[in-house]
Amino acid sequence: MKVQVRNADNLSIIDCSGDVDLYTSPRLREALLNELQSGVPSVLLNMSEVSYIDSSGIATLVEGLQLSRQTRTRFGLFGLRSNARSVLELARLHKVFNIFADEQEALEKIATVQPFGGL
Amino acid sequence: MRIAISSHPSLLHILRGVVRWRVQEAGFSPSDAEGLAMAIDEAATNVIRHTYSNRPDAKLSLDIQTFPDRVEFALEDAGPKVRAEDIRPRPLDDLRPGGLGTYFINCFMDEAYYDENFAEGNRLRLLKYLPGKGSPNHEGPSQERR
Repeated sequence: MKVQVRNADNLSIIDCSGDVDLYTSPRLREALLNELQSGVPSVLLNMSEVSYIDSSGIATLVEGLQLSRQTRTRFGLFGLRSNARSVLELARLHKVFNIFADEQEALEKIATVQPFGGL
Repeated sequence: MRIAISSHPSLLHILRGVVRWRVQEAGFSPSDAEGLAMAIDEAATNVIRHTYSNRPDAKLSLDIQTFPDRVEFALEDAGPKVRAEDIRPRPLDDLRPGGLGTYFINCFMDEAYYDENFAEGNRLRLLKYLPGKGSPNHEGPSQERR
């Protein structure tokens, strides 16, 4: 799994690729929590190259969501493949997160969402 | 077929890959194979995290047997006995990190239970019927037998 961070004005995009499981999720967690504590108003997670995510990865996303509420950071996901979306739906989390189809939609809409997640 | 690995989390992808391949050979769809691979991943993750307390050098093995109507898995470890009644998925409306692994196992498997006759360590038995070939007594997915 690879994790890279792109920083722009008022926004961080975390590009994640590969499998997110017990072994790799700590790397995603570190990057995600760092960005959510950095003071940037919005953080987006690009999941278009995430081929697999298990409960460890989902736990990381939930932890990020909770931190985003504490830091009042807008937090969104985009580019989910069908298997990642299915896992979020099974866990009934697909309505809790701000989920966008792709990077373009995420960039257009993230500034308009409440910085409290999708609840 | 039997696969033996150490309990290092970097090896979980091997289990997933073998399960995906083997169950598709047995007639499961790629989508079903993905779910079964995830269920095995979650079961092995539980062993690594809870039974072995993240120790990376302990033994973990997976036995896969295919039949005309089903696939059966047996995940074995050499850790302290697990009390099945202590394992419960968290309520889905309780939004907090963790606690979903057992829930996912039950979503993708038709049966999941610990073999009480396994002397040393734990043997978790998991079973999935091919679509349309469930047993007459089977009431649907996510049934857990203990």
